[in-house]
Amino acid sequence: MTNNIVEMRNIVKIYPNGVVANDGVNFSVRRGEIHALVGENGAGKSTLMKILYGLERPTSGEIFVKGQPVQFRSPLDAIAMGIGMVHQDFMLVPSFTVAENIVLGMEPTRRGLIDRTEAIRITEELSQRYGLHVQADAVVDSINVGMRQRVEILKVLYRGAEILILDEPTAVLTPQETQDLFRSIRTLVEQGKTVIFITHKLREVKEISDRVTVMRRGKVVGTVLTSEATREELARMMVGREVLLSMDKPPQKRGAPVLRVRNLTYVSETGRTVLKDVTFNVHAGEILGVAGVEGNGQTELVEVLTGLRPATAGQASVEGKEILAATPRAVRQAGVAHIPEDRLNNGLALQATINENLIVDRYYRPPFRKGLFIDQQVVVEQGERLIREFDIRTPSGQVPVSSLSGGNMQKVIVAREFSAEPKLLIAAQPTRGIDVGATEFVRQQLVQKRTEGTAVLLVSADLAEVMSLSDRIIVMYEGEITGVFPDAAAVTEEELGLYMLGIKRMTMEEMEAVL
Amino acid sequence: MSRFLDSPTVRSIARVVLATTAALLLGFVITWLVSDDPIGAYKALLLGPVSRLNRFGDWIEESITLTFLGLAVALVFKAEQFSLGQEGQMVLGALVAGVVSLFVPLPAYFRIPLALLAAMTAGFLWGLIPGYLKAYLDANEIVSTLMLNVLAVKFYEYLLTYYIKPPNAGYTTSEKFPVEGVLPSFFPPIPGLENLRRTFVNQTNISVALYLLIVATIVVYYLMYRTPFGYELRMVGANIKFARYGGINTKRVIMLSMAISGILAGLAGAHLAMGIHRKLILNIQYGLGFEGIVVAILARNNPLAIPFTALAYGYLRAGADVMERTSDVSREMVLVIQGVIILLVTAERILPVVQKRVRARRGEDEDGAPPETLPPAPAAAEKGED
Repeated sequence: MTNNIVEMRNIVKIYPNGVVANDGVNFSVRRGEIHALVGENGAGKSTLMKILYGLERPTSGEIFVKGQPVQFRSPLDAIAMGIGMVHQDFMLVPSFTVAENIVLGMEPTRRGLIDRTEAIRITEELSQRYGLHVQADAVVDSINVGMRQRVEILKVLYRGAEILILDEPTAVLTPQETQDLFRSIRTLVEQGKTVIFITHKLREVKEISDRVTVMRRGKVVGTVLTSEATREELARMMVGREVLLSMDKPPQKRGAPVLRVRNLTYVSETGRTVLKDVTFNVHAGEILGVAGVEGNGQTELVEVLTGLRPATAGQASVEGKEILAATPRAVRQAGVAHIPEDRLNNGLALQATINENLIVDRYYRPPFRKGLFIDQQVVVEQGERLIREFDIRTPSGQVPVSSLSGGNMQKVIVAREFSAEPKLLIAAQPTRGIDVGATEFVRQQLVQKRTEGTAVLLVSADLAEVMSLSDRIIVMYEGEITGVFPDAAAVTEEELGLYMLGIKRMTMEEMEAVL
Repeated sequence: MSRFLDSPTVRSIARVVLATTAALLLGFVITWLVSDDPIGAYKALLLGPVSRLNRFGDWIEESITLTFLGLAVALVFKAEQFSLGQEGQMVLGALVAGVVSLFVPLPAYFRIPLALLAAMTAGFLWGLIPGYLKAYLDANEIVSTLMLNVLAVKFYEYLLTYYIKPPNAGYTTSEKFPVEGVLPSFFPPIPGLENLRRTFVNQTNISVALYLLIVATIVVYYLMYRTPFGYELRMVGANIKFARYGGINTKRVIMLSMAISGILAGLAGAHLAMGIHRKLILNIQYGLGFEGIVVAILARNNPLAIPFTALAYGYLRAGADVMERTSDVSREMVLVIQGVIILLVTAERILPVVQKRVRARRGEDEDGAPPETLPPAPAAAEKGED
């Protein structure tokens, strides 16, 4: 008890609509530890943390912070007790500078005006002390996601937080930014802070946390020392059944090439050569994985192939149909489906309903179009069918996509793109930021499509994903293909890493044989 | 019943009625402060438009114009294109409708449809220009439409002054339109009701534009919510990147949204020329340029709600006229009330935030689909329909 900085006992939270979000939860955090809180979407972990941060009030139960019983009426009470929360969606003023955001609400003043110099000094001091690098005078609008997150953390620290709740902090980060974040978290703990880390990525749990609490359906399944649990065990605790972290693939039946890319080159508007002479094929019935550190041209490759960016030179065809000069619709009509990397910006219209999101590639043709109109009945029926088949958790197809969880949003995209019955499926980061159950589902669907004879081009920053799903792997480095591995099962992570970092590369002759 | 109350149309009407009530109360406080006869003055504002048949006519006529303008704005705003070109489209619509009415020697049943068609075409083309500039040359539509408004108004004045006005006339107006070029009364010649009809025809200019308005509202609604083009329009408005990713030709949608919106503004112009004034006058657009925006925002771009918000807003404008003419309160005060209404209703975002705060304090559900708007109060809604 004395050792526990936070102790929550028998927390029950029943929402007015009858949903039991927390059902007798016991949760404790030791001073100075990194405590991971994991569970699928809807398991109640966010609710539990909102209660701890004073955003929600429990129906019953007790909370002790530093041994004192507390009752938070609002986040202000929680902040006063040294609890700070970094939300998943950043709450920063985009037109303010980093320093202004950090001091917002507790501004240092001089003669009644905000003292900007002092704000910058405070920011730099905090930044140095906790190893969270930010640019104090930069406008938030102009900085990247990783830095925005550091600003959020500094904001919380400036308010004197000793216990930091990080709500899925890595969902929006690249692997490099994630590593930076982890370093910062370790620094924070060395300086005596306590960190509660909400996530559903088991790899991160293993990497960063000391202890882990698993929640399922509003209850705590258990709290264990991270070092004593395997990922498989944690996954089983989360989902409540055996989860296949590695995929079992039926044997491959490889057909003719579907996608042929020849000497594809793309020069960006700023004159940088992003893709250089890229040549490869994707065959029917195979998953071709593209490995590489993010930012080595994968995003552009996908966008050029799907008609969203104009290529500078080269050819690409799907079953003989040229797709490089084509519009996004023509590319789709050639048989290409696309799960986009940035699902909130590209893949969905959040205010539109699920049904509306499910028809964007097909509303203009029968059976959806009937005469002058869109046939609402067909749209609704398709919606119901896809919601069922793809297990999208929603009361109906008429609700806005914005009301869904991240995993279910991705299922909407997957449902649309898979039901288009493509010849070529381009999947970019298909499981980024979604929970274990949804990830498993998406992966199984990908493998099933491939087994049915679809050509799949898989781009993922998750190396383990590329390795477990792909039949063949190509590695991209600085816009070029630097390695081809015809048998994905026979290659090690270390070997791929050497190519991804540009340390090793194959010659054209070596690659041509297997491309 | 609860489904009825949940429907977006009912909600947006209810919200407007609530906001209007609140604003009118505030308005009375102001009247009370500035007028020697606050009750009389306020009565003029509140009941003026229904106190005499000719004032009733003014109200309805104005509301018809406002509806067309509101539909034009709603259509283009739904695609998140902020075209402000309704004024120019309306003026050109009035111009070509007037020219056809005055100079094309055809019988009424050809001349009037031709004039309407000409007005729609003018509006379409005058919307196509900024649409093209935005879609293909990335020209900001707010700037381009405002400039095109000036062009259109000046062109109208030029033609009216130098070509249309009879050479020896004292005022800068055209001849009165011949009867073949005037929109007939909305009142059909029903046997037995000739006297009533004559009263309406003599005291008001309410024309068949009333029916045109009903058709236009339904057409816009179906266009927006039931057709492939409407789907494209809404997706471009909801997330243009998503629309492009999904294969929608976004440039075409941007261009057409502005052009089709122009058709409705053109109709508003035809109504002004052939229904209300029955001749071309200087400043025919006076005070109407941006009122369509108010009407559309009050209706939250919902086409089915627009005739109602136009009637409500038109009522306020008509009441303001009466109040100005019959009491010691100036029109400026009424503008203050208008401002308060718009402020109350367009501050729609404030409400969910307040609700969220209250709920958070009570410790209730925050995820559970917060009601987007104020739950409609049935009593208030009914009161407002009188």
